[in-house]
Amino acid sequence: MRAWLQLLLTGGLTGLLAGCQMTPTTLPVAEPAPAAECRWPAAPGDSLARVVTALEAGGFLVRHTDVPLGLVSAERARTTLYHDNGIDRLPRIGGFVLGGSGGHVSSGVMIGIGGGFGPGVDEATRVERVSVVVDQRQLQVARDIRMIDWRGDLRESRSASDAGFCRDLRRAIEATPAGEAP
Amino acid sequence: MKRSIVILLLAGWLAGCATPAPPPARELQLAATPGETLREAMHLLMERGYVIRHADGELGRLDAVLARMPGYGVSLRVTGVGDGSRVAFIATRGGRALPPTVLDPLLTDLQSRLGLLP
Repeated sequence: MRAWLQLLLTGGLTGLLAGCQMTPTTLPVAEPAPAAECRWPAAPGDSLARVVTALEAGGFLVRHTDVPLGLVSAERARTTLYHDNGIDRLPRIGGFVLGGSGGHVSSGVMIGIGGGFGPGVDEATRVERVSVVVDQRQLQVARDIRMIDWRGDLRESRSASDAGFCRDLRRAIEATPAGEAP
Repeated sequence: MKRSIVILLLAGWLAGCATPAPPPARELQLAATPGETLREAMHLLMERGYVIRHADGELGRLDAVLARMPGYGVSLRVTGVGDGSRVAFIATRGGRALPPTVLDPLLTDLQSRLGLLP
């Protein structure tokens, strides 16, 4: 088979497969599921104001609240180091050459491929997003973490409604005096 | 013969770039007030690990996200109809609408939670 026909066949098949890109058949859910600690019965004195105070004391910035629904949505950003283990350190291509001889100066472009070795650590911003719902029956928490690198690219995105965070948040809410809430 | 093969392959290639029209939202009529519907939907989504980014009981809107690549989202629009409510769900993946059928289990759970299933 001719080379161009082979090329077309490969391209065609790739295109066909791209057309069959998988779409989920059910709504995706967090894996692992939120910890049981992320939901607890409401105690007397629990209120949205108290939750907001506890979140702010923990360094969260409140983004949105809805009092009738008992919802607060907040986020907290921290600068951190991102260990990418050199996964996507693509080789850099390019070069510029300037030289001269015998009274003539000339320039040219040279193409080369180069890679680098390094510890694979970049500075990144770690953004935690959390939503808490308070009603007469219970308090419920959901949280996720996203890692954004210095280029502004999203490097990591995962649900993080884990037992440790929810336990700490519950402790912080319970430690907030109900009267001090704004 | 050769030309028809080329045309067929090119058609296949271009099919990969086809952008299907966004499917309509999944709509449902419920015998529950808009407030109850929003509240229960919010609890159900959070149980599934979704973070509620925005919800407004008066506007009847809710937007939730799941931090799984390439990024999933669920939006609800609730309006009051008589004593009940009409709710429209839209699920997205990477900003593109997902088929409304993916929402069926969530809607069944919502109806069950509202005590509307036999």
